[in-house]
Amino acid sequence: MAILEFCGVTKVYGSGRERRVALCDVGFVVEEGAMTLLTGPSGAGKSTLLKLVLAIERPEAGTIRVSGRDLDRLRKSSIPYLRRNVGAVFQDFKLLQDASPLENVALALQALGRSRRDVDARARAALAQVELDPSLRRPCRSLSGGEQQRVAIARALVAEPAILLADEPTGNLDPRLTREILDLLQEVRYRGTTVVIATHDPLVHQSLGPSQVLALDDGRLVADSAPRRRTTTLPGHAPARVRPRTLGAFA
Amino acid sequence: MNPLASLGYIVHRGLRGMVQAPLVQMLAVVTIGVCMLLLGTITLAWANASSIADRWGVDVPITAYLVDEVDPVAIADLVARIDELPGVEGVEVVGPEQTLARLRDGLGDDPELLAGLDADVLPVSLEIHLDAQGAGTPVADALRAEPDVEDVVVAGAWAEHAELLLETLRRIALGAAALVGAACLAIVWSTIRLAVYARRAEIEILRLVGGTGTFVHGPFVIEGLVQGLLGTALAVGLLWIGFDAARPLVAEAFALAFAAGSLRFLTPAEAMALVAFGGVLGVLGSRAAVARYVEV
Repeated sequence: MAILEFCGVTKVYGSGRERRVALCDVGFVVEEGAMTLLTGPSGAGKSTLLKLVLAIERPEAGTIRVSGRDLDRLRKSSIPYLRRNVGAVFQDFKLLQDASPLENVALALQALGRSRRDVDARARAALAQVELDPSLRRPCRSLSGGEQQRVAIARALVAEPAILLADEPTGNLDPRLTREILDLLQEVRYRGTTVVIATHDPLVHQSLGPSQVLALDDGRLVADSAPRRRTTTLPGHAPARVRPRTLGAFA
Repeated sequence: MNPLASLGYIVHRGLRGMVQAPLVQMLAVVTIGVCMLLLGTITLAWANASSIADRWGVDVPITAYLVDEVDPVAIADLVARIDELPGVEGVEVVGPEQTLARLRDGLGDDPELLAGLDADVLPVSLEIHLDAQGAGTPVADALRAEPDVEDVVVAGAWAEHAELLLETLRRIALGAAALVGAACLAIVWSTIRLAVYARRAEIEILRLVGGTGTFVHGPFVIEGLVQGLLGTALAVGLLWIGFDAARPLVAEAFALAFAAGSLRFLTPAEAMALVAFGGVLGVLGSRAAVARYVEV
């Protein structure tokens, strides 16, 4: 079943002489539980595409459906509920720099109105999952790039979203940490989360063996490797251990 | 979804935000304090002016002195006729003994000054209380036309003019209060907007993790509320200090105006209402300031 659909999507920034087409007539389908790689050089439109899925940006033309629901028809008041179902790891992490890793991860659960005890337990577990010490009290600004990346991943995963979007998740990491993060993302996928990763790092492609690769160039989709029929068994990887996660109500 | 947990987070985050940026908070509290001091001064002046006007309007009747040896039946008829006049609330007959007793009371520690004075030499008088502004002159004219009335003293005549003047002043004060209130709102909005602008990255993050409008702007509203309450409490304190210092000077300069009663400070209820108003102002200012940043 399709969890993410783009149909003739065009996104333009600016107007007149400043006009820049970030995405042009992009269309593809991502199936539930897939590991999708979004590749292309810098400026190809990868980050824009992820922002459209999170409803941070709105397209000028075309339709985006998340779990069958048209984002164009989504009321502003429903957008927070969409974002609770779509975890995101941003290129610049978007962490509260004065807060500790635990506080940053807890934020995603506090937004859901979870009890303090639940927030604390789950945030600690999420940090442990990315191999960070939950009792670390240092503010995030004093952490290394790799550590901040892992905090961002923990925050994106803690609320168990149906979709995880990751924008250049290995961009700030050394080869060893890159390997660890990719293993973690693979693990996340095996637990039923649909993972969409924007990257221009060939190592990511080699390591993950994605079920789908979408190649963007200058805002156009130039390749889509989507198989006609989705399989849960990928060469060299274990099959999905649980049923794919589906989105909760947001519209 | 646990509403209490969300509320707890919002309050915690709001207070923590204040602690993290004490200088901005101090600036906001002092700014609100200065604005509310202006508003409080106008409120205080208005409250005192209203109080004076009320005392004049209520306590100063028309007094009609009757000719000697009027028989009680004629007095009763006269009282009935006066009672029927438009604008008259009530008529009180004051006999010679009652007048003498009032005189004695009025002399306080020196009642011996009236030693030897016989009540019989004092006239019977009627005290007429009015229930409508501007009724004094026609009632006095009607009294003067009565054969049993020897003299009429309209003690409230000058008070009516003063009341009109005070009413004009009250309207000016109301306009000034509205202007100062609007200025306060604008200043609070600008000050809180600075704080919000400094934390726009945090707002963006809260939105991205799925925070609703209430979740995102709630901490700022708490900040605005606390700033408004603290700033106004500060203003009320300063107002009290200023009032205490200025009271003797004002009372001396306007001795006639305050003859019927002394200057008064805001009542506890009025002070609390002002502090609550400051809180509301803080909430409105922060809500407006944060609105553009919580757009999804």
